Amino acid sequence: MLQNEQEFTRILKERLEGTLAREEIDDIVSDYSEHFRMGKESGRTDEELCKSLGSPEDIARELKALHLVKKAENSKSCRNIFHAVIATLGLGLFNLVFVLVPFLILLVMLFVIFIVGVLFAVFGPIGFVFSLLQLAGQPAFAIWLNPAAGAFFAIGITTMGLLLIIGDYYLARFFYRIGIRYLKWNISVISGTEEI
Amino acid sequence: MNIQFKKGVLEICVLSVLAHKDCYGYELVNEISKRIDISEGTIYPLLHRLKDEGYVTTYLQESAGGAPRKYYRLTESGRKEEHEQKEEWMRFCASVNALLEGKNNAAE
Repeated sequence: MLQNEQEFTRILKERLEGTLAREEIDDIVSDYSEHFRMGKESGRTDEELCKSLGSPEDIARELKALHLVKKAENSKSCRNIFHAVIATLGLGLFNLVFVLVPFLILLVMLFVIFIVGVLFAVFGPIGFVFSLLQLAGQPAFAIWLNPAAGAFFAIGITTMGLLLIIGDYYLARFFYRIGIRYLKWNISVISGTEEI
Repeated sequence: MNIQFKKGVLEICVLSVLAHKDCYGYELVNEISKRIDISEGTIYPLLHRLKDEGYVTTYLQESAGGAPRKYYRLTESGRKEEHEQKEEWMRFCASVNALLEGKNNAAE
């Protein structure tokens, strides 16, 4: 258990360094030193104040998660959303189920759609070329029962592949936006502490 | 009371206290912790977030014989948010209470 303000401040600073900017850390620390100052003025001891504030590790975890989610919102990238998810996971065991599992499911789904799209977009044009060669009377390329129908089918597959890739992109953006909102809500509701 | 539940209502509590008057951090924490048993430290990250979202602003004001204090004030959008969340909370409580009372009656 923490005994005094110096220790509280030291741990808080230590945990925030590397993630938050210098000025932001100073701003946060100044809030807590004001809290300690006012508390002592009203006759409470260092120890009492530490106890009622709760652990600085938990406070730092929440501030970091907030910061990283905001960062992922302002500059969209895989790396940023990944960091935000990891930081939110740290807020409680609960989030293994409510953050990690949905995140992985979405990731796999978007990946599968992308792969299927790429396969369609690659094999469609190949099938189209084959059907043309088959129509031109090249027996080595005779993969279609009906080369004319095959040509149209290949065009259809190619188009579908491209649409899947484009759709996947918009789907990813959509889930990114929803994901950020969900993480924000999650941080505001999930407590970093398992006990009071 | 369940701690997860408490943290969720902290935001409306903070907004509501600030809707009545501007507060400095320690004052706000006291207002809330005298009614709800919470880790007082979690109020500051919440204030930080509310500031980010534009619901509150801060200003420094000299106190009588001491260092200046950081006051928190609701913005226009903060007031709107407070109003909406309060309405929502009241409706929710009324429904839950009605349900709980109904259940008790049925058990008798």
